[in-house]
Amino acid sequence: MKEIDARGLACPAPVLQTKAALENEGATAVRVTVDNAASAQNVARFLRSRGFAVETETAGAEISIVGRGGDAQSEAPVSRPASGPETSASHPEHAKIMVMIASDRMGHGDNELGSKLMVSFVKTIAEMGEELWRLVFVNSGVKLTIDGSPVLEDLKKYEAGGLQILVCGTCLTHFDLLDRKQVGVTTNMLDIVTAMQLADKVINV
Amino acid sequence: MERADDAGIYRVNDELALIQTVDFFTPIVDDPYDFGRIAAANALSDVYAMGGVPKTAMNLVAFPIKTMDLSVLRRVLEGGIAVLSEAEVVLIGGHSIEDAELKYGLSVTGFIHPDRVLAKGNIRPGDVLVLTKPLGTGIINTAIKGGLASPAVAALVTEQMATLNRAAAGTMAAFDVSACTDVTGFGLLGHLAEMVCGAGFGVRITAARVPILAETVDFAAMGLVPAGAHRNREFRQPMVSFAPAIDAVMQDVLFDPQTSGGLLISVAGAQGDDLVKTLHTAGVTKAAAIGEVFDGGGGRIWVE
Repeated sequence: MKEIDARGLACPAPVLQTKAALENEGATAVRVTVDNAASAQNVARFLRSRGFAVETETAGAEISIVGRGGDAQSEAPVSRPASGPETSASHPEHAKIMVMIASDRMGHGDNELGSKLMVSFVKTIAEMGEELWRLVFVNSGVKLTIDGSPVLEDLKKYEAGGLQILVCGTCLTHFDLLDRKQVGVTTNMLDIVTAMQLADKVINV
Repeated sequence: MERADDAGIYRVNDELALIQTVDFFTPIVDDPYDFGRIAAANALSDVYAMGGVPKTAMNLVAFPIKTMDLSVLRRVLEGGIAVLSEAEVVLIGGHSIEDAELKYGLSVTGFIHPDRVLAKGNIRPGDVLVLTKPLGTGIINTAIKGGLASPAVAALVTEQMATLNRAAAGTMAAFDVSACTDVTGFGLLGHLAEMVCGAGFGVRITAARVPILAETVDFAAMGLVPAGAHRNREFRQPMVSFAPAIDAVMQDVLFDPQTSGGLLISVAGAQGDDLVKTLHTAGVTKAAAIGEVFDGGGGRIWVE
């Protein structure tokens, strides 16, 4: 387990040290020791945002945050060095296709038709096969991930099958839908930009 | 003066009072000119928040002359002067000392009518609360420190911090305003708590209506929250009731310490919409009504 001593450091240093450990060293289990509640909360939140299961241990003034089972590599904004070890998370044999869905309708012209086309598109997208790597929902596209969405069950099935679904948090907030999102991981622009960089192909819908 | 307020008031006669304030801090942005602008906008804000008009200012400078090029100081002062002239405030002097770390700010003097001083604590039931700048400067500045904010967001937050509260103050002068403060280090809910404290009235805030800078919520969700937000929350938590839908991330945003934040204006309920519209016309385009004051409620804040 990667140990990080972030005692005596002010925010955001503990989060940044943790981030560096995940991204540069590929740590999938980490123990971060801090000496104030604000840093503890921030580190725990950061680890959860990267898919870690988080436990907190308090001993006197020191707080240890233990994160396990993260998928560090998939979030890394820089590619691994060529000589680095392969991990189970990577699939070098497949190209990685990222599909960015920026609307709840497909195309312009007729709104009703646009909605139907988008439903059909999402239901058909699995035909891309294993190369389909990530679905990213931004702008009004996030409405496809909330309760009542005609494709919610399909998206849940895709996610259960291992497809990564990212949903823009700023967009959910804008439409006041943060509580209604039913599928995917709430994300930010940094993750979206990083995903674009990592993908072999980005398809905008 | 019974309670902490944004600036000191000295009554000269029945028609005129002096309003005085001082504020200075260490750099919060890399560019010295922008730092000067932000420090000046921030120092003038306390006068605007009380309904006054700033007239003169004096520089306060601490500068590491042995380790930093004097051109940096020149740019800081030029930034300050640019904002002072925009505000039609005359710089009449100042004082500098040698220090290990750069610090800059201003002492500001203005005029105010003694009967028209806007204290924090005079909120009335039925008032609508209007916030004139989006929240998030603390969280975004933390993300900038961590090298995670985009240049576009960094530029946006710099411009917001360097924006004077002058247009907002000038606009509210024509409305039936009972109380006002500016949102700075204690965050929105911390400063709101100062307005509510002892008033005996409750305040209801609708989080979805609070203007928030782009990417703030995303960065907060990543754990890029300044320690000040945590301290603000610890201190004021007992006064605040959050609806279950308001998660810890949103709570941190509402407690995020602001640099040169907007005015928080308590205006007669019937004039709320009109004030917001007039603010938009005056160029305060992000202003929004975010809540209201109600009778009873025992001096608590409800966030839903």
